[in-house]
Amino acid sequence: MTVKHIQTPGRSTAIAGLDAIFQPQSIAVLGVTNTPGTVPHDIFVNLLSAKFQGVVYPVAPRKRHIAGVRAYDYVLDIPDPVDLAILVFPGAVCEQALKQCIEKGIKAAIIISAGFREIGPTGVEREKRVRAIASEAGMRLIGPNCLGVINTEPHVLLNASFARAMPAAGNIGFLSQSGALCTAVLDYAQGKGIGFSKFVSLGNKADVDEVDMLEYLATDPRTSVILMYLESMSRGKELIEVARRVTSEGDHPKPVLAIKGGRTAAGAAAAQSHTGALAASDVVCNAVFEQAGIIRSSSLEELFNSAQLLAYQPLPRGRRLAIVTNAGGPGVMATDAAIEQGLEMARFSPETAVKLKKALPAAANMKNPIDVIGDARDDRYVAAMEAVFNDEGVDQVLVILTPQSMTNITAIAKAVCEVHDRFRSSGKTLACSFMGAKDVAQGIHILQQHLIPHYILPEWATDAMTKAVHFRHWLNRDRTGFKEYRMDMATADAVITKAPDGYLTEADALKVLKAYGFPLVDYKLTQTADEAVAVAEKIGYPVVLRVVSPKIVHKFEMKGVVLDLQDAKQLREAYIRMRENLLKHVSAEDIQGILVRQMIPAGKEVILGINRDPVFGHVIMFGLGGIYVEAFKDVTFRVVPIREATARSMVNSLRASGVLRGLRGEKPSDVGAIEDALKRLSQLAQDFPRIAELDINPLIVHPAGEGCHVADVRIRLQS
Amino acid sequence: MSQKEILDRVKAVTARVLGVDAGTINDNSNFIFDLGAESSQSIELVAAFEEEFSIEMEEDAALAVQTVGDAATFIAKYL
Repeated sequence: MTVKHIQTPGRSTAIAGLDAIFQPQSIAVLGVTNTPGTVPHDIFVNLLSAKFQGVVYPVAPRKRHIAGVRAYDYVLDIPDPVDLAILVFPGAVCEQALKQCIEKGIKAAIIISAGFREIGPTGVEREKRVRAIASEAGMRLIGPNCLGVINTEPHVLLNASFARAMPAAGNIGFLSQSGALCTAVLDYAQGKGIGFSKFVSLGNKADVDEVDMLEYLATDPRTSVILMYLESMSRGKELIEVARRVTSEGDHPKPVLAIKGGRTAAGAAAAQSHTGALAASDVVCNAVFEQAGIIRSSSLEELFNSAQLLAYQPLPRGRRLAIVTNAGGPGVMATDAAIEQGLEMARFSPETAVKLKKALPAAANMKNPIDVIGDARDDRYVAAMEAVFNDEGVDQVLVILTPQSMTNITAIAKAVCEVHDRFRSSGKTLACSFMGAKDVAQGIHILQQHLIPHYILPEWATDAMTKAVHFRHWLNRDRTGFKEYRMDMATADAVITKAPDGYLTEADALKVLKAYGFPLVDYKLTQTADEAVAVAEKIGYPVVLRVVSPKIVHKFEMKGVVLDLQDAKQLREAYIRMRENLLKHVSAEDIQGILVRQMIPAGKEVILGINRDPVFGHVIMFGLGGIYVEAFKDVTFRVVPIREATARSMVNSLRASGVLRGLRGEKPSDVGAIEDALKRLSQLAQDFPRIAELDINPLIVHPAGEGCHVADVRIRLQS
Repeated sequence: MSQKEILDRVKAVTARVLGVDAGTINDNSNFIFDLGAESSQSIELVAAFEEEFSIEMEEDAALAVQTVGDAATFIAKYL
């Protein structure tokens, strides 16, 4: 093995194994042909054209040479050691080829060939066999069914792909599950002057997946921003853990941005609880990304808009934005967008105001956004930029230009670059929007050459700036651990172990919650009205009646709940009426009894829940509760386990979180009690994988210091 | 037609279409992996076999055949 390993502390062997893919010194391409315009030919030629800094060996049975390079019948015929094999043979013979590669001692392979999982059952089996062959030999594998891999490092210059051209070198690492998207991205990036450090098409992910690549790129000194296009994820928990580490830890945490396409929540149709129905949407994915520090984008444009800013500019110190523009309208639009997206317009210091007044004509707007007016040439831009770069109250600067007859576009672009260089040490973030297409093209080119992020629309710039601020907040967040409670696990276990799949009765569900320390009011299961009255006398009026029956899930609809019973007379009448009514729908044997419970004092209604996601495992949900929960969908999710700060962020991230903080002089609700309940729920989900769905709806939250109470709970088990 | 005769004629056709020495082809030779057949040549091979034996084969199944020996067995089913 001749691969040069990057000596990075803490790098796992598995990740170090990827060096053979990205930094090989010798490559064998198996299945090369002499037919231009075909993948097996072009991929070999691409290796040569990119000026790969190692040796390449074409393996092409019964051919003397390929593109002037001596060819070998079999990989075993190559006389020298080989680091990386690239397979372009048809899928049907890849197993045979891979076995020879292993015999040759090759430690990594890229299978470009199609004909695997994507073609159906035959391909699925073939992919399993290929994975098994590689895994047994400790070989790392990219693909199959992929575009290939690119490494722009000058000492490597690897274009092991059938992309049309080698991209420019840069500090962005890109990985994609879609090969076709890769070619589009390369072309798009070339048009925008964006370069890459590593570029990877993962294909069917038989071995190397996004989790491996995140770990690898985290240790790559040439990558400072990581972009991902994902369609499916199989190692959800590992993705969260690794992404969280990449975006948070080490000397140089790296932003990770992702587009997630085609997510469908398996099992959505089967979900019967509120939590299940709400968790079936893409919001779980959003929550996962938020929990992992991944910045989610909905389009390529948005992805690269953010990537440019994060890759080229210092991370913003804060939200305070200064805008310099030669046009009022775009300045106003940019201001609106900035405010809506969560930035703040900087308030200039008196010194800045004096400088601006001195340098700009009287008609100019000296306040933010600074309008240097339509006839501005480069000198006015320079004066305004110098003033705001020197102002301590400014974190970010957006320069807007519209092409007017007197606008010297290229001179202004050069001046922007010059000011940017001069104030590089200020740590302020700069973005530009030269609006238009043809007239501004040369100016944009100058900015791009200078690695100053450019956006055709100012609102794209402010969106990227906002996302960069979010990443700054992510880095500055409270770093908390997991709280571990002492629970009566034995009691909960006794209930859950003996119960069959399906819903627990309310009595059993309450027993589980009680064992996990959830705040419950006194209750007792009764069989007769007399017994109910005796219980009520003991626990005190007012009380609530709730039927307990495995056949009745939606109690309110079936009139199986009566609230606020003030005395024995009311209780007795309600008890008899409820029983008579229920017997019209279910048999007497199906009614296990009627719970008599203390009436919970009024408070804010919230919902807490657990759902089991096919990719991420248990997720917990929090939202404003009651019967409108699914209509408003003001809920938030996190993957279990949750940290202390995560519980807090769940409560704060609701659109209506102000309701809990107290509106119009109301006392704030006991948010600490909600956070406590969320952490207990997280522990419950971790301890009992059989819990498929759980709803606490509502949890009644009382004013601060007075706690909360579980009003209703449903737990569904599934092995 | 005997199996040996079919095999010999399959080897001769293969050598002609792929431009390889018939003496180097054996029953286990894989059209792609050992003899270097490209995808267009695989289609040519199927057509040449059909002409040689005056038969019409199911194309997808024929293209899935990997070795010379298997090709002879496959063709025999049509004779």
